[in-house]
Amino acid sequence: MRGVFTLTHSSKKRKSLEKNTGAGYLFLAPALVFYSLFFIYPVIFSFVVSTKRWNMLVPLSRARNVGFSEYSYLLKDQMFLGILGNTLLYALATVSSTIVIALILAALINNAKLSVLWRFIYFTPVVTPQVAIGTIWGYLYRPNNGLFNSILKIFGIKPVYWLTDANVALISIIITAVWAGIGGSMLIITAGLKNIPQDYYDAAKIDGAGPFRQFFYITVPLLSPTLLFLTATGFIGAWQVFDLPFTMGRNAPARSVMTVSWYVYETAFQSLRMGRASAGAFLLFCVIFGFTLIILWLFRRGGIKGYE
Amino acid sequence: MKKSLLLLVLVLCVFLSFSAFGKTKLIFAVHWSDYQVEGVKDENGNIVAKGLRQYVEEYQKLNPDVEIEIQSVPFDDYLKRILISHTSGVIADIYVLYSLWGVQLVDSGILDQVPKDIADKVKANFAKVAVDGATIDKAIWGIPVEVANYALVYNKKLLQEAGFNEPPKTWDELVAMAPKLTKRNPDGTVAQYGFAFLSGWDSAVVHPFLALLHSNGGKPFKDDFSESLLTSKEAVEALEAELKLFKNGATDPAASVWGFPSGKVAMMIMAPWYESALKLGFKDQYEQTVGVAPIPYLKKPATAGYTWFIAVDSASKNKKAAWDFIRWMTLENAGGFTRMGELMAKNIGSIPPSKSDLAFFKNELNDLYTSVFVKELDNTYQEPNVAQGQEIKTILMREIIEAWNGRKSAEKALSDAKKEIDKILAEFYK
Repeated sequence: MRGVFTLTHSSKKRKSLEKNTGAGYLFLAPALVFYSLFFIYPVIFSFVVSTKRWNMLVPLSRARNVGFSEYSYLLKDQMFLGILGNTLLYALATVSSTIVIALILAALINNAKLSVLWRFIYFTPVVTPQVAIGTIWGYLYRPNNGLFNSILKIFGIKPVYWLTDANVALISIIITAVWAGIGGSMLIITAGLKNIPQDYYDAAKIDGAGPFRQFFYITVPLLSPTLLFLTATGFIGAWQVFDLPFTMGRNAPARSVMTVSWYVYETAFQSLRMGRASAGAFLLFCVIFGFTLIILWLFRRGGIKGYE
Repeated sequence: MKKSLLLLVLVLCVFLSFSAFGKTKLIFAVHWSDYQVEGVKDENGNIVAKGLRQYVEEYQKLNPDVEIEIQSVPFDDYLKRILISHTSGVIADIYVLYSLWGVQLVDSGILDQVPKDIADKVKANFAKVAVDGATIDKAIWGIPVEVANYALVYNKKLLQEAGFNEPPKTWDELVAMAPKLTKRNPDGTVAQYGFAFLSGWDSAVVHPFLALLHSNGGKPFKDDFSESLLTSKEAVEALEAELKLFKNGATDPAASVWGFPSGKVAMMIMAPWYESALKLGFKDQYEQTVGVAPIPYLKKPATAGYTWFIAVDSASKNKKAAWDFIRWMTLENAGGFTRMGELMAKNIGSIPPSKSDLAFFKNELNDLYTSVFVKELDNTYQEPNVAQGQEIKTILMREIIEAWNGRKSAEKALSDAKKEIDKILAEFYK
């Protein structure tokens, strides 16, 4: 009897589900159409272009098919590999420095007086356009009367050619990017800090833990999902960086500061090699995808699942 | 009453739309700035120097069936505008094009063939360097509207302070003079450059090198473009000549030609269009301060140049109307001169390439700044019209900057450039 009831019940449920499937797809349709139109279609189009020799001046159908030769060209090209290296260095340095500094600052100002004011001050660069930041920092980095060389001069240190010395230019841009990115990360970390119950700190204090122990044993572990989010999104953004190196690095030897997005832009719109540019963009997509998976895996191995 | 008003409005709408549809519409894409399009006006709004719009309005009055829309796009976005318009199918009918882009546009079938009468007039009536600029595979693809070349621009006062009454004539003289014009701060940074290049802009890097290369008796490519000649003795010596200025402390990669109007650069290699910026920078001190001379030579006087030419899109639905307007604007005698020549000489401040305009606008072209550039037209070598010209120029720029920064020797930089450039040439010419 029970079996019959279960059978009837499950068949009814299935029928009801089948009946509602159409409605479900209907509700999903706007998002699916949007996603297909603005993400899936461009990705497929870009992949198709990457297998062609196309300059955008003739219809794509007339472009010569070159298979994967643009990919193999890029993977053998010393310049592109150097540019990948620049971008990797930029991503590693900016993301790690930004998160560490933002974490320390957020912990310091979390319970400080006028914390709202501090947050506002640190957040200001985030709402400033990157091109404006690049231009202003360009003035600070000027070799003759720039702020940084004036400070070095006080200490009797030789002036540095911040943006034209090939060995220094990328580091100078990284410093600017870190400064510009701290505010956003700090705000997210502060939100994470607010979610940590005060009881844990009180208990730790009773057990004799000092501020450093509290920071490393309570704050950092409980902020891990937030840090995972910042690391993943930070790397995705850093790999795609364009504005700051393009604005600040134009007077430096290009190989020393050029990033993949800059290379893709130049290859597409100056060299008119859409196929090679698309192949570069696709390789960048693969690198970002792989990097994000590695980050998620590393955090998961550490027992953090907050970003799933 | 209401009904008749409605009817009237309807009739008007129909009439207006028919009159608009009846017109031949041309889109004219230019890279010129606001005052060059709209005209130079005094404080009361009166036109002092006509801009493109005034000429277009004049033409529209003479040809009421033609409507011309001017689309002004900044130079940096101009090529992108052409590319995107062809992808989207919304093209301009008429373009003013940088000669370096010509080969690719012609190879892709973007440009309409120039009517024979126009091509003949271009060959007969325009400066040779400009004709070279508009010539691709021995055919004329447009009418040159602007020709630009390079000269040595120097600060007379700074030279006099250092005891020099004349600018250098040879490159060796320049190399000897420049360090004496360089002043340093106590911390070792440069307060005043004896000579300045500009790192961040391909033309500012490549064109002076090309000028020296020609001056040294060399050329950048074989005539059939099958190979670059950048490892030739002449090319290496030309780059080494530039590097002497870096080695003797007269300049460094941080130097910039944009520092000239503030009096921080004594000498630079510059084009004619920089005149107005210099006048703005030096104001009433302009004439006492700015001097222009031919580029100091290695073996023979030579300079590099480039051309802008006007052309019609092959996909235009109104090609005849477009060429008719171009004829009127660039070739028709408007009283001893062409209208385009007048626009160039009186408003834009560039050198008009038509021989009749060069003769007619002597007053405008004979000032202390432009006159040297005009005289140097005979010594000007047009930037080569080679396939992937922009890509090749960027590669050459990067390698020259590597050498400026001491990261490569002249020989190594040019050899690396040659390797990359020859790969491109092999794609298109073999």
